[in-house]
Amino acid sequence: MVKHMTDNIKVYALSTCPYCRRTKQFLKDNGIDCDIVDVDLLEGKEQDDLLDEIERITGKQSFPVVLIGSEVIVGHNEEKLRKALGL
Amino acid sequence: MTPSGEGRVFCPVCSVRFPPPKGVGDGEEVMCPVCGQKLLIRASADGWTGDRVGKYSDQEILDRIDAFARIRGYVFNEMKAEIIEGLIDKRRKFGDFYCPCRLRHDGEHQCPCRPTRGGDVERDGRCHCGLFWMKT
Repeated sequence: MVKHMTDNIKVYALSTCPYCRRTKQFLKDNGIDCDIVDVDLLEGKEQDDLLDEIERITGKQSFPVVLIGSEVIVGHNEEKLRKALGL
Repeated sequence: MTPSGEGRVFCPVCSVRFPPPKGVGDGEEVMCPVCGQKLLIRASADGWTGDRVGKYSDQEILDRIDAFARIRGYVFNEMKAEIIEGLIDKRRKFGDFYCPCRLRHDGEHQCPCRPTRGGDVERDGRCHCGLFWMKT
């Protein structure tokens, strides 16, 4: 069974960040179905709440953040993505 | 017209004031010695004012980052073009050339951002976005 088919995968990104763009492209190229949120395009409370959540999970505000099940990957890292996704 | 007293030019990008180079006068271009921004200086009764040359144009940020890297002796890597694309996208979406990898859209985070001007590259080997790198 392919691991990524069962995981709820989330990506928190900035629309202007080249590393976020690479992560999005990598996931797309590998046919990974995921929920992508560009945090910079949110506004007000919605953005604040999500930033609090990201800081709680990662301890900082750095992008991209990829959540694969209980795994948290901060920054564009294809090796970690492959491992976490079982690719 | 020349400004009164010890005129200094205010850089609207990095907010420093610097003395204009000797012999440079009203209507001429100078470069901010801190961030590398090209400025057109004008004399006024209150001192020199500096207007950003090519404000908001793609060329403005290309010239600024190249000049800043030259001033500091930093180098770029293969991400340069993608990061510049991000800077231009920031200007289009948020009004100016702010760090593309940060969420902040304020004067301190105009590229080159304040942490970078303050020595992040010397400390970490690179700036937050990975645009400027120490020469190895």
